[in-house]
Amino acid sequence: MRAAVKNGVGVFHPQGFLDGNSSASLLSIDDIEATIKNNSDMILVSLKKVIFFNRNGLDTFVKMFAKVRTANHATVGFCDYDNTKYKAIVNFYKNDLNFSLFISQDVATLFSASYKNQQKNVLLFNDDKSQRAAMAIELHDNGHNPIIAQTKDEFYEKSKNRDAYDLIIQDTYLGQMGQKVATRVTGNAIIYTVSSFLDAEIGNTFNIAYHNNSLNVGFRLFIFDSYKVVSMNIHALNFFSKLSSSGAEYNATICFVGMTFEKTPPSFKETLEDAGIMFFEQMDDILQDKELLSELGASSAANIKNKRAINKITVTELPNFVDATVSTIEMMTNSKALKEAVKIDQIDVGSIEGKIASSIGFYGDMDGMVMLVFPVEIAKKACELLIGEETDDTELVLDTLAELVNIVGGKVKSLLGDAGISVDITLPRTYPSVDGLLEIAADKKGIQVDLSFNDDKFLFFLTR
Amino acid sequence: MITKETIENYIQKIPPAPEALRETLMHLNAGDLTKAAAAAQGDKALSTYLKVLVNKPIYGFKSEVKEVAQIFGILGVSKSQQAVYNYMVTLLSPSKWSLFKLNRVSFYNLQADLSINWQKILAHLEINDKEIQSTISLLPASIIVSEALFCEKIKDVNLLRSINPIDLNTILKRLAGVDLFDICEQISYKWQMDEKIAAIIHAASGLKPSDDEEVNLLGKWMHLLLFFTLSKPLYIEAELNDFIDFQIEYVSDIYDEFAKLMEIS
Repeated sequence: MRAAVKNGVGVFHPQGFLDGNSSASLLSIDDIEATIKNNSDMILVSLKKVIFFNRNGLDTFVKMFAKVRTANHATVGFCDYDNTKYKAIVNFYKNDLNFSLFISQDVATLFSASYKNQQKNVLLFNDDKSQRAAMAIELHDNGHNPIIAQTKDEFYEKSKNRDAYDLIIQDTYLGQMGQKVATRVTGNAIIYTVSSFLDAEIGNTFNIAYHNNSLNVGFRLFIFDSYKVVSMNIHALNFFSKLSSSGAEYNATICFVGMTFEKTPPSFKETLEDAGIMFFEQMDDILQDKELLSELGASSAANIKNKRAINKITVTELPNFVDATVSTIEMMTNSKALKEAVKIDQIDVGSIEGKIASSIGFYGDMDGMVMLVFPVEIAKKACELLIGEETDDTELVLDTLAELVNIVGGKVKSLLGDAGISVDITLPRTYPSVDGLLEIAADKKGIQVDLSFNDDKFLFFLTR
Repeated sequence: MITKETIENYIQKIPPAPEALRETLMHLNAGDLTKAAAAAQGDKALSTYLKVLVNKPIYGFKSEVKEVAQIFGILGVSKSQQAVYNYMVTLLSPSKWSLFKLNRVSFYNLQADLSINWQKILAHLEINDKEIQSTISLLPASIIVSEALFCEKIKDVNLLRSINPIDLNTILKRLAGVDLFDICEQISYKWQMDEKIAAIIHAASGLKPSDDEEVNLLGKWMHLLLFFTLSKPLYIEAELNDFIDFQIEYVSDIYDEFAKLMEIS
């Protein structure tokens, strides 16, 4: 069984009866390896569809939690249970509870790096005072507004007014929380989360290949969420200075948010500013200021100095890319694709009206970027299978489109893997209008394939 | 990926029940075990299947049962009819499984596991109706239909499920507007099975509760039995555990009774 991964949160969904025999069959060694490799910020096991479990049944997953935590510093735990199941788990593990328990996935995501600064009003209660405090601190750090009930009576009284809160938290327990450099995308800015002491270790925990390829795909704004950083030493200073200098080639901006210099020499700040790094007190100072966001490059791409030509391997592997894209869109729209034209040139999307776009980068044995331009109607249809109904909500369509492009990326990875070529993929980027994509693709030569799905035109562009 | 036409073609290709089989069922319906056994002898595959089935350890016979007449005699009318229906469903099964890690033996085991526990449930509910006894035979058809429709698309399905925990039944419903249990219903009509069988199978999907109280109750027990069975290591390893969605709320009111009956602790 594999976890379904979305926005950096991987969730296992076992069903039925979980005992020692069944859970050992559900989770193989390969599954655990794959979970470690997917590098999620949070790994959860949903008990929503589990009607019976015993300690042996949970133990297999708890062992997996320990391995994932050691390897990735991810937050791990169970979610989606009722009060009876919660009491059973707490009773099984008593003093050994070193994983988290979240009453629902929605509650879990409040604590995940992927859903920061949503400013949710959250009512919370836990019998244990230190748990109440830990949850409130985590929620506050993540940009939410926790309201703590000090007693059970107060909690029941306050919970009567359900509309006052976005979420109500009870039967939830925070085990050891993760501390990895987490990545998420907000409004096409990439946000990394760093915490505690920044030292030479940052060179190991920070995924530089991922960062470079994000630059290549067109991301221009990188924000380091540093609210939880205690101090930084000279090794980390050098690391960030170099990171900023190398990003300058792309006109990329690096920002630190929430960094205090109480235990870090103030001269470090000057050095970092000299390297082009900007400092902000609050995340909202950037994310809520659309003008600043645009200025810093989140919605526009600048010149890329090292333009790269498409090479032989890119052309040779083109059929794999086209097959992966076509079969995915065919699967999602349940319609047949016709290939209309193939050319090697700069991208030509024709009219940009009524179209949205998405791109995803890949790197490893070969590198490059796939860009897809959809008529909005095809995008909506393709997303229906994932959403389960028709929708006119553009944000939801773009979000789902990102998942779809992720599927294309996954398929490309698997097809290339079959051909002995190992690649990793970046996060997908979406564009509500084609203009943004054209800025990235400007002057880039690539292979364009025009496709038609039930007479709707669809464009595939592969470049480096 | 899968269209209404794909499904229509699939259903069209399902062969009608063979003559010897229909004759066997006709005599079983009339309660004539001797004539039914004679008819079953005419179908070598059926008689072999019956011998393999009843000699599985789960049936608990001390010595090997060899003759069809003897088998029908031991099983009685209801269970014999159930066994024959089980055989009919195996006629649909592929020669080689690729979507699910099953084979002929493990599929027969699944049928036997479901059948024996279904009998236990019906005895507990004090229901003695041979059509209801036979209903369980049709349940594994949903697995065969999934295999047939999705086997060539498994890579696509796995990628889809790597980001979205969506079961095969929901994928089918969203793509073609019908679900696995609708297809099972059509198969039952094609084989002229009793209408009650299709109704219970529908309720057993957990998605379409029946207005008929008895049908709904049986649907709940069958839904829970299916997931109890699919939680066994053999079927988890066959990747059957999440091929349809377990509707936990649908069965919550009968769970304690079920757990007691199946001695789950």
